[in-house]
Amino acid sequence: MPPKACLPACANASPVRPDAMDFVVTTLLNALTLISILMLVGLGLAISFGLMNVTNLAHGEFVTVGAFAVYFVQSIGGSFWLGLAAAPIAGAVVGCILEFAIIRHLYSRPVSTVLATWGVSLILQQGLELTFGLGAKPVSPPIEGTLDLFFTVYPAYRLILIAIAALTLLGVVLLISRTSFGLDIRTVIQNREMAEGVGINTRRTYAIAFTFGAAIAGLAGGLVAPLAIVLPQMGVNYLANAFFVVIVGGVGSIGGLVAGSVFVGGLTSVLNYQISPSLAQAIVLLAAIVAVRLRPNGLFNGASR
Amino acid sequence: MIARDRNWLLIFAVCVALAVVYPFIADGYQLTVIRDALIFGLFAASLDFFWGRTGILCFGHAAFFGIGGYIMALVTLNDAIPFASLLGIIGAVTGAALVAAIIGYFLFFGGIRGSYFTIVTLAMGVICQQAAVSWSSVTGGDSGLIGIPPIEFDVGGLHVDLSQDLPSYIFVSAIVAVAVLALWSISRGRWGTVLTAIQDNEVRAAALGHHAPLRLLVTFVVSAAIAGLAGALYVCMAGLVAPDLSGLLLSTEVIVWVAVGGRGTLLGPVLGAIFIQRAQQTISSFNPSLWPLLLGCVFVVIVFVLPDGILSIYARLKVLFKGRRRAQ
Repeated sequence: MPPKACLPACANASPVRPDAMDFVVTTLLNALTLISILMLVGLGLAISFGLMNVTNLAHGEFVTVGAFAVYFVQSIGGSFWLGLAAAPIAGAVVGCILEFAIIRHLYSRPVSTVLATWGVSLILQQGLELTFGLGAKPVSPPIEGTLDLFFTVYPAYRLILIAIAALTLLGVVLLISRTSFGLDIRTVIQNREMAEGVGINTRRTYAIAFTFGAAIAGLAGGLVAPLAIVLPQMGVNYLANAFFVVIVGGVGSIGGLVAGSVFVGGLTSVLNYQISPSLAQAIVLLAAIVAVRLRPNGLFNGASR
Repeated sequence: MIARDRNWLLIFAVCVALAVVYPFIADGYQLTVIRDALIFGLFAASLDFFWGRTGILCFGHAAFFGIGGYIMALVTLNDAIPFASLLGIIGAVTGAALVAAIIGYFLFFGGIRGSYFTIVTLAMGVICQQAAVSWSSVTGGDSGLIGIPPIEFDVGGLHVDLSQDLPSYIFVSAIVAVAVLALWSISRGRWGTVLTAIQDNEVRAAALGHHAPLRLLVTFVVSAAIAGLAGALYVCMAGLVAPDLSGLLLSTEVIVWVAVGGRGTLLGPVLGAIFIQRAQQTISSFNPSLWPLLLGCVFVVIVFVLPDGILSIYARLKVLFKGRRRAQ
């Protein structure tokens, strides 16, 4: 099992001394870092779990694969940015194979999907361990140093991470709302039979959407690699948190995704200042369970049950 | 009596007979191996009682096993508590049941079913393991607690001391046999029938007057209580408790035991646990990191080749041969 703080050590490794205004801004930025990562990981889950009704327990491994891609590129002498470009590709390749070999055969058998994807997750973890060896892998950030933000001094890389995450999310929103492929996805989600009736290849749409989600999760893994402990088992923590993002936020909208990420990520960051990371994690997950009881359809989707 | 029930009782009787004969042919070490495997078999049966009848998969069942284990360890390690073994077992069962009741209430009454339930229980398992690791003043952290004494108590003038191999083997097999028989009679009776109805169509079952969330909750609590009992027995036999006992890997393994043994048969999971552990020990002795890899492959194979477990091979062969005979 992985050591404690696999969820990015973002919040507890605070770079500056907390000091009134300083403290507030730093906490906010730490929360934003975590929220950005959760949003990217959760996006793929929102597609597969929320929209296709596929419970993919191997989703955390897309993150791991992305992080390992960055490590691998760096270890053979490539730059971080090259690695970051490889991360979503690695995620997409794994996702595509997974969809093709397993998930598409199990759309009508939800419990079987859970078991099979968990099996794949174990195979991927162990495969990575056998290939790259035991222990945490070092990944160095592309830029060291900090940026003076007037109120506080903050590591420059984390600001870049937040910016890339925001741009990616914007890109996804545009893709879904403006392109013809986005229109296909929305159609298939609303009514699969009808979509087939009007000539959309739903299998292909599912496959592309799933691969796309895997790629984004891989990108998240690449982004988080310099901050996190890169281990073959790192995925499971992102998996649990990302599922809670989707469940708490409610499925089917980008707004829900953002709400869920803010809930899980924000709470984790704030709690991390007061108590140990594992306890903070436990409290966040418990809070999420209670939130689901009170708002079964998600924070974002009104009060209707 | 229905033929299916008769077959089940027949297999059950054969298993009990084997368990009775085994001490005469096995030495002390072999007895302890089977004893520990039987405890995990009880754990597997507890998961099957819930998963098999409701169709809802609990992905963090080891949490209850671990809670039972830790409570038993804490009670028996405390010298101030009298009747420690009995109180420990009672505490372990109640503790696991209580946690299941609280979590189950939020989930079942919140309308959480299917995959959502699976995910939340997965997270619950992660939480429990993290709590066991980080709350080190009580749980001993990563290394856990050691030196847990064997079970020892007096009941009606009879002194039970399970520090020897044979008495502990007899005690454990008796408990497993009674528990499996009890779970089976519950699940084949009216209770199980209603659960099947809920699984098939919850709205319709509710319309017929069955309180679905309550039924699911009670079944979940019973299942967790038995898992807690198994955990308590295990730590006394092993003499130690560690965070792994509530970990994700054990939660995963118990699912494999149930899936391989045959979901919904209660007896199959016990056999599955015994045989797979045997295989695990053999394979791990070659290379410890090979086992999780193989476990992963087993998951994928089960789903595609044997969705109803190993016992279904027999049924399939029967169909195959009948088909042949008809064709001739």
